Parts: sequence; structure tokens; C-alpha cells
Amino acid sequence: MSNLIRTRKPGHALQQPFYIDPEFFKVDMELIWYRDWLFVGHDCEVKKPGNYFTVQVGAYPVVVVRDREGRIRAFHNTCRHRGSRVCTSAKGGSARLVCPYHQWTYDLDGKLLFARQVADDFDPAAHSLKPVACESVGGYIFICLASEPADFAPFRQVMAPYFAPHRLTEAKIAHEETTIEKGNWKLVWENNRECYHCAANHPELCKTYSEAPTMTGVSGTDSDPEMVEHWTRCEAAGLPSRFNIDAAGQYRATRAPLLPGTESYTMTGKRAVRPNLSDQVNTDRIGSLMLFHYPTTWNHVMIDHAVTFRVIPISAEETALTTKWLVHKDAVEGVDYDLQELTHVWTATNHEDRRIVEENAFGIRSPAYEPGPYSQVHEGGTEQFVDWYVSFMASRLGGQKKPGLKDVA
Amino acid sequence: MTDPGAHIPLDEMKPWNDRLQLLEVIGIADEAPEVKTFTFRADARTWFRYQPGQFITLELPRTEGVLMRTYTLASSPSRPFAIAVTVKAQPTSVGTRWMFDHLKLGDRIKAFGPAGRFTHCAHPASKYLFLSGGSGVTPMMSMLRWFQDCAPATDVAFVHCAHRPEDIIFRKELELLDGRMPRLALSFMVHERSKRDCWSGHVGRIDAARLKLFAPDLHEREVFCCGPEPFMAVVRELLGAAGFDMRHYQQESFGAPVLEDVPAPQSATSEEAGGSPAEGATPVLFALSAVEAECPPGQTILQTARACGVRIASACESGLCGTCKVRKLSGDVTMNDNGGILDEEIDEGFILACCSHPRGKVEIEA
Ligand code: FES
Ligand code: FES
Ligand SMILES: [Fe+2]
Repeated sequence: MSNLIRTRKPGHALQQPFYIDPEFFKVDMELIWYRDWLFVGHDCEVKKPGNYFTVQVGAYPVVVVRDREGRIRAFHNTCRHRGSRVCTSAKGGSARLVCPYHQWTYDLDGKLLFARQVADDFDPAAHSLKPVACESVGGYIFICLASEPADFAPFRQVMAPYFAPHRLTEAKIAHEETTIEKGNWKLVWENNRECYHCAANHPELCKTYSEAPTMTGVSGTDSDPEMVEHWTRCEAAGLPSRFNIDAAGQYRATRAPLLPGTESYTMTGKRAVRPNLSDQVNTDRIGSLMLFHYPTTWNHVMIDHAVTFRVIPISAEETALTTKWLVHKDAVEGVDYDLQELTHVWTATNHEDRRIVEENAFGIRSPAYEPGPYSQVHEGGTEQFVDWYVSFMASRLGGQKKPGLKDVA
Repeated sequence: MTDPGAHIPLDEMKPWNDRLQLLEVIGIADEAPEVKTFTFRADARTWFRYQPGQFITLELPRTEGVLMRTYTLASSPSRPFAIAVTVKAQPTSVGTRWMFDHLKLGDRIKAFGPAGRFTHCAHPASKYLFLSGGSGVTPMMSMLRWFQDCAPATDVAFVHCAHRPEDIIFRKELELLDGRMPRLALSFMVHERSKRDCWSGHVGRIDAARLKLFAPDLHEREVFCCGPEPFMAVVRELLGAAGFDMRHYQQESFGAPVLEDVPAPQSATSEEAGGSPAEGATPVLFALSAVEAECPPGQTILQTARACGVRIASACESGLCGTCKVRKLSGDVTMNDNGGILDEEIDEGFILACCSHPRGKVEIEA
């Protein structure tokens, strides 16, 4: 892998093994997925003490739970007795985490409270569930499987002000959907990071989302007068908006306008939900707050709802994409919004993207595949993602040459 | 089996296993009117592993059918070779009366446990206030005996209430402990004097003024309370009025509610020891199994289910793990859980069978 990274042609897609080789996949998991902060779900999915959800990251089953003090915690979902998964459903609520195998009972803070008929010298304190680093910011829960997680504070500092006004902590999930895309996780990202493909593939999304490269991409945004006007107007209304990207390129937040006369990702461009998503945000034409954080999430927050995405790799050639639609906690389905209308655009778009990713993966499997050049106009975002990936991997593989990041700021 | 008198060092012994070993009665002693202490051991190679204040469930082989009865251990794990329960037979007692009439030295019975969280081990503190009524003294006795052996300098304010002076269980032993433990402050209180024993102590019922007298530094203490429900209700009220932080209040659960006037309170977690004259068995209907059972006072729904062959999964049997969660279709229960159930689940009609006692007829989905 080091070799291929060293000899990669800048501005080009990656070589075939990055997308199909199980050995390369293992290295991705070890060096990125088992080491970095990963978005797993929302605070509002674990509203009350005892609410939990589970997530599988590579080999690691993890459970995220709200404890009695209201703190969100994550644990390795493997019993300290003989290893059974403790929480077996995708979501649930339970006063205690009880292993289904022999009922070892853990408190919501992971402490072992009860184990039936164990040895006299058994020390329950030495058998707590193993904790996983867990942070929440702006209504998003992140975990990190590393024993020494990277500092979360810089990301928190960037993200929190953008998201705080939208109060996603107290929203409600109106709908969620997981699709399995038969393609490497990087293909899912590469596709997401450009809108070069939008015109031909996304008739629904194109009703409201501008194909301008400054929307999706990472360069030239500052010099787009429409963008600057949007930021100035939204910031005057107290909504942080300006394009902001991490020096290493791992995350970026920006607020972009939707097409003139549209407010939300619907077929009509009109809002899908009657109450505003946040009681605190009442400004017209705020467009969409967009955040990406590699390797797990991209997001859109509009005036009436938010759509969030979570990428989780399954194998070298399979990726799970979970999409969630968030609305005001008091919004009532069938009264304040029509679920079909709310979810139509992104359900269709996801479907189209899945097809694209799978076709892309198909072609890459060909021995004749050879990485081609990115469009300098339209594919700056994709190139930035691949640069980030390559540079992360290179530094972690101990590669001497750190491939130069494209100037992204 | 080894000779009961044989001495074997503790490190050559094994802890008692309730699945495999019966208990043998090795002592029966009178404590007070209608109160006896039964002492049990397993065999000379066995010791008992528990925490002071925990309880045990005895399976009483009546000819009319097996009864499961839960009794707090009055003995201390610091004397680990035998265990003892001190029980009071009320006019309506079934199980305890059976023990009084039938259990003889050398008899062997089945038992389960010990279990329970009413122990200072689960709520360590620098100072304690123990409040007990009637045979609610038993868990306190267990803890005090343990303190005497292992931590005699522990600060305990102990207030025990009884009907008449002669009803005070363990009176002599407690007075002896009072002399030996420098920071034990012992107070007795009786509802009425008697002609038999002269009495110079407190008479009446516990109230705010007396509580202040017994424990002026109340707020610094971890409170343990055990007695009939009305007694505990009064204590809770007094503590509440004093602004006490109830997170530091522990009480031992009781079976059926007892009338305020019942002189001798029942033993912890069991109606049997104390008994309540007004209570008989309560009908419990297990809907899925189509079984109608009777829950004798003090029995839990889980015990009732077991006694009539209805299977409800269980593990901790102390309201901790939630394994015994079942839906209650109708009726009311008193549940003394240890956090093994969520408020929402309670709202949805679920209960923990292992720590729920019926209050009137109930119907259970099991
Ligand atoms: S594996 Fe969890 S209790 Fe046995
Ligand atoms: S058996 Fe554990 S709560 Fe009832
Ligand atoms: Fe797309």
C-alpha cells in the first residue's frame, strides 16, 4: 500500500486495490476506522436514561447508552463473562444492561452489578463493561475505538457554533433508512464529494440543489459573490455560516444557499415540515448547513428539517449508508408533515447514488481499469477527500513522504 | 458427613451452595413471646458467604404444599459457619407457624440465597442511623454483630421500637453491644409499659422531637429503616420534613401492608415473621398459563408463580437485573425494586415479579 501511495499520480483516482483488496480494507479499518472519531448517532436517539442503540464498526460491536445522570456513554458490547453481545437489538430501553446469556447485569455506567453464583474471590469491579471514548456535539454522538483517542476539542470548537442554533439535541427522528451499497467506502465518499454527476443522475435533488462546484467543492467558495452574500445575511441573523475547513482536511462546515425560491429538499422546493426545526432559527432562506467529517458523515440542516448520513464500511466492497431525517420534536407525522414528501428527494437521490457507486465499483474491478484525472472544475471535493485519505494513510503507515494537501483553505 | 463438633479451618472449607446443599437445624431458641431464633448449618466443611442484612429464602415442606418464605438473616458473616433467622409468629402466620410447630433439631430443609441490598456494604458511610420496628430488628442485628466483630468503632445511632418492653428482641445482647462499641448510641422505645418488665426508657411513638434527640446529626448519616410499612411511612415522613436527602435512605421491603396498630412489626421482606392479622392470601391469576394461585402474605409474585409451576425467568431475585419483568394485566402491586425497571416500563404496566407483592387481586401475563 505504501508503495501505491508513494507513486500515486496527484489529481487522479486511486489504484484498483484500494477499492477491492481485502488486505487494503483491513489496513483502512486499522488505521482509520479503529483510530478516528466516528459519528454513530444522535443525542435524541437516546433521549432518556436507559435508552441505547448499537452499532458495529468492523469487528467491534458497540453500544451507546444514556446513563442515569444523563451522560451519553459508549461501551464495547461484549460481556465480561464469556463475551456474548450484551445488547442485541439495534435500539432499546432498559434500566440495566443485562447479558442475555447468563444475565450478568451492568449498570448504565458499565459497572457490573450482579453476576450469579460466581467464585468467592470474584471481583465485580474488575469486570465492568469496557468503555469506548464517546463525545457529543451539536446533537451528534461520536465514538472513538482507539485507546488513546485524538483530541476531540478542535472539531467540537468548529462544529458547535454552527449547529447549536439548530437544536438537533432535542429534535426527533422522523425516518431512517439504511442502504447497503456494493462498493468500497471510499467510492461512496468520492461520489458524495462532487456534483459533477448530479445533472444526469439526480433529477429530484437538482430541483433545489445547485450544481455549482462551490456548493459541493472546497475551493473558490470565498470568491463566489452569491455565497458570500448568503453568509453575510445568515451571520447577521446569528447563524455562523462561513466556509470553515480543518487544516488536515478531515472536516468542513459551511452554509450554502439553495436554488432561488426554494427552501428545502422537496420536489416543490417548499418546506416539508410546518414547524421550524429549531425554535431559535426563524430566518428566511437559510439554505442548507453542510458538514462533512471523514470518514463517517455528511449532513444538511435546513429551516424545517435536517438530513444526516452515516457511512460504515462492511467489507472491501460493501458499505452501509444510514440516512436520518430529523424534524422538530413536536412535529406530528400526517399533520405537520407528510413522510413521503419529506423523504422523497433523498430516498431517490440515495438510490441513484447507490447505483452510481455500484457501477463505479463494477468498472473498477476490470483489469483494464486505470485511474483517470479528476475534473479540476467540478471534482475538487473528491480530490480533497482522496488527498485526505492518502495523506492520513501515509502518515500512519509511517510513510516518509507526506503527499501535499491541495490548498484547500 | 463430618461431625458437627469438628473444627476445620476456614481456608479448608467451601462456601455453601444452595443448589446442592440442604440446611440442617442446629439450634432453636426463644427470644421473646412468639419469637424464636432458628440456627442452621450445612455441614462441617461449609461456610456461609453473605453480607450482613441480606435475606434467605426457605422452602418449607408443608404437607399441604411447599411454601417459600423469605427471612432476613440475623446472624453475622463474621461468624460464618452457621446462619440464623429470628422470626415472630403472628396469629395469621402460615410459614412461621409451621416452623414453630414442625422444625426440630436435625431437620433438613432446602433454602436459596442469600440475596438483598439492605446492607451497609452496599451503602458505605462514615455514620449510620438504624431505625427498626418489631422484628425489623433482624437486619440491624446482623449489621451490628458484624460491626462488633470487624469494625467496633463504627458510629451507629440505633433506635428500636417495640410494643412492650418484653417484646424487644435481642434486648440483652444489644445492651451488651452498647457497652462494648464506644460509638454505638442505643435507644429503645415502647408503645406501652408492662407489668412484667420495669421500664424507664422512652414510651410512645417516634416523632420529630425524638428523632432529633436520637440523631442530632441526622443529615450526616446513612439511614437504614426496617419495620412494618406504617412505621417506615412515619420515618419517611419525618425524614422528609427534616429535609433529609432521601438518596441516603434505605429501607427493607415488606410484604403486605400492616395495620398501624399491630404491635409487633414483621421481619424484613416477609409478612410471615411479623404477620399481619388482617391479611390472608391474595388471589393471583397467571393469564397465559391459565393458573389461579394464592399469594400468601409476604410472598412475591415470582414465589407464587414458582409454587404453582408457572415459569417466570429470573436471575438476581432482588429487583436488579430485570429478568423477571412481566406485564401486569390488572390489579395493584407493591414493588420494591432495585432499579431493574424503567419508569416507562412501569407506566406500560410491567412489574418485576421477584420484588412485587400483590395488593389485592392481580392478573399477570405469564
Ligand atoms: S456471557 Fe454474558 S453473562 Fe455469560
Ligand atoms: S430476577 Fe432480577 S429483577 Fe427480578
Ligand atoms: Fe449523488
